[in-house]
Amino acid sequence: MAYGFMLPAAILVAGLMYWPMIDTFRESLYATTFLNPNPTFIGLKTYEQLFGDSTFWQIVRNSIIWTIGVVFLQNVGGFLIALLLNQKLPGQGILRSLILLPWVLPGVVAAILWRFMYDPQLGLINSFFMRLGIVEHGVGWLAEPSTAMAAVIFAAFWKGFPFSTVVFLAALQNVDQEQVEAAKIDGAGSLRRLFDVVIPAIWPVAVVNVLLTTILTFNYFDIIYVLTRGGPLNATAIFPTRIYEVGFGQFKFGEAAAYGSLSVLVLVLFVGLLLLVQRRQVKAA
Amino acid sequence: MSNRMLKSAALAAATAWLLAGTAYADQTVIKFWDNQQTESGLSVFQQEAVKRFEAENPDIKVEVTTIPYPEYQQRLLTAVQAGNGPDVSTVDQIWNSAFAVAGAIQPLDDLAKQAGIKAETFFPGAWESANYNGQLWGIPFNVDVWFFAFVNKKLFQDAGVDPASIVTWQGLEAAAPKLTDKSKGQFAIGLTGNKSEYPVGMSDSFIYSNGGSVLDDSGKCVLTSKEAQEGLAFYKKMADYAPAGILNAPNEPMRELFLNGTLAIELWPALEQPTLDKSKIDWDLYAAFAPEGKKPVGMFGGWNLVLYKASKNQEAAWKFIQFMTREDVNGDVVDLIPANVNAAKAFLQKSRRKPDMILDHLNNAKPRPLSPRYLEVSEVQQNMMQKILSGTPIADATAEACTAIDALK
Repeated sequence: MAYGFMLPAAILVAGLMYWPMIDTFRESLYATTFLNPNPTFIGLKTYEQLFGDSTFWQIVRNSIIWTIGVVFLQNVGGFLIALLLNQKLPGQGILRSLILLPWVLPGVVAAILWRFMYDPQLGLINSFFMRLGIVEHGVGWLAEPSTAMAAVIFAAFWKGFPFSTVVFLAALQNVDQEQVEAAKIDGAGSLRRLFDVVIPAIWPVAVVNVLLTTILTFNYFDIIYVLTRGGPLNATAIFPTRIYEVGFGQFKFGEAAAYGSLSVLVLVLFVGLLLLVQRRQVKAA
Repeated sequence: MSNRMLKSAALAAATAWLLAGTAYADQTVIKFWDNQQTESGLSVFQQEAVKRFEAENPDIKVEVTTIPYPEYQQRLLTAVQAGNGPDVSTVDQIWNSAFAVAGAIQPLDDLAKQAGIKAETFFPGAWESANYNGQLWGIPFNVDVWFFAFVNKKLFQDAGVDPASIVTWQGLEAAAPKLTDKSKGQFAIGLTGNKSEYPVGMSDSFIYSNGGSVLDDSGKCVLTSKEAQEGLAFYKKMADYAPAGILNAPNEPMRELFLNGTLAIELWPALEQPTLDKSKIDWDLYAAFAPEGKKPVGMFGGWNLVLYKASKNQEAAWKFIQFMTREDVNGDVVDLIPANVNAAKAFLQKSRRKPDMILDHLNNAKPRPLSPRYLEVSEVQQNMMQKILSGTPIADATAEACTAIDALK
């Protein structure tokens, strides 16, 4: 009886979530392009080709660097700003609303904004650095393979940190103030209270937030595509930009499906690793 | 309102609906898709032309869909792939052969022959782009050359350089340092190098103007030829006088710099003229650039009209293609330059500076490789340009590109 009640939901989940994933994997076993719209079964040949292609490994590397960089900055930055906003400050309500602004901006708009900011000739960032004498001429932050990834990570951090701030702020407001006060009476300084009382109290929320931002960042497309299209020299190419490029730029559907299937695999491994680390920490605690 | 009145009103409405339905049912409806590349109000002009076509052919109704250029490729290809495509559409010259190989469009040789449509009606490069494997797969619709040098006359005057001198490589090389003052944020030439079609088109023009090519007649990569390598070497040399950040530079920022008066030479098709006319820049244009003694050969771009195999209204769709490329119509329905030479002559005289020079450049221009796998060839060229501009020796980058392109066969 109980299974009967669960059946509609199970069918819905299987149909909407798992069937597209299975179908994507099936598509990756066929050579399907615009020129060859009738699928030809080729098995795992596309995967073999990808594993032998240095661009694929560069994309795996970039995706991991990008995800770790953005997740780290968004969580640490978001937490620090949440700590600030948790204090009694004048205009606290307005500040809390304003902080959400980057997050509510559409991704494409935020990316265009940062494109202007980074512009070597007209951008605010170069103008600021030139006034301070840090650089002599405009620097192409998005055009240098050595700086492009850092530049897109920073833009994505700016766009996404309010999400983490809101989550951490909610968690901070639920920290038991009696414990904080007790620690204070026991002589714990502000840093000690932060590390020994506040952070352990919000840790479960932090873990969920890291997981959520990891998944969102790994699959994030807009910022990088608008800022660099994955260039220069594939320095910022990640799975979503490559899937778009291969699928909708060259209409090689089989190859795009293979990239898609592998991106799910990499993400699952990545998230699995995070969960493992978290469990070990809990056990150790 | 009485019951009787209500019944009468309902009867009148039903009759009107039925009559309208009957009138619509007698008509053949064709779907036409095009894209818009400029702010020219193209869809309005096309709607007016469609009214004219419908008046000439009362049994045909045309539904026009105008899609912004950046979205067009994806939407058209997805619709065609899914079997929901239009009856007639424009396709970029570089997609025409892929649509033919994919079996999506009709060969038009017999229809064109019966209608008396001849190659000489259109620009040579445009006609060439509509042919693949000895068959005609489209009718040229609009064209332009992505290799006009628009110059800021004031910056040239301040630098003491004659703008006409830049039409040769030697002249451009001498002028570029004088036109560049990095401390003032002023640059000689707007070149692109990002991961897009822009640097491919631009560098093709440098190669063509030196007598080189990307693929030979058999489809083999010839980027390793002396002519191609010299063209690429000159592009790389000129990049020293281009705005910083070339590896992430598309065309649009170059236009912004030209419009704000800090870029001396902007490379753009002739379609740029209406935009510049609205600006405060004192500008002129030249057919850009070739080595001394050679004639510049620009990259030819534009769109062809194709007839889809899946169309259930082939006859009506073909009538529409003929109408849109007719001498008296073609100039009213394009936002580049009409592909019909006579229509183009009238269009240029009416709306462009230096019409004769533009016409000559159009006649001399060359399309990009007409390979059905052009999109992949282009990706290889994009990677090659990024490598060259970031310091990889040209011989190495072109050899690697040719290996990748030849492996596509």
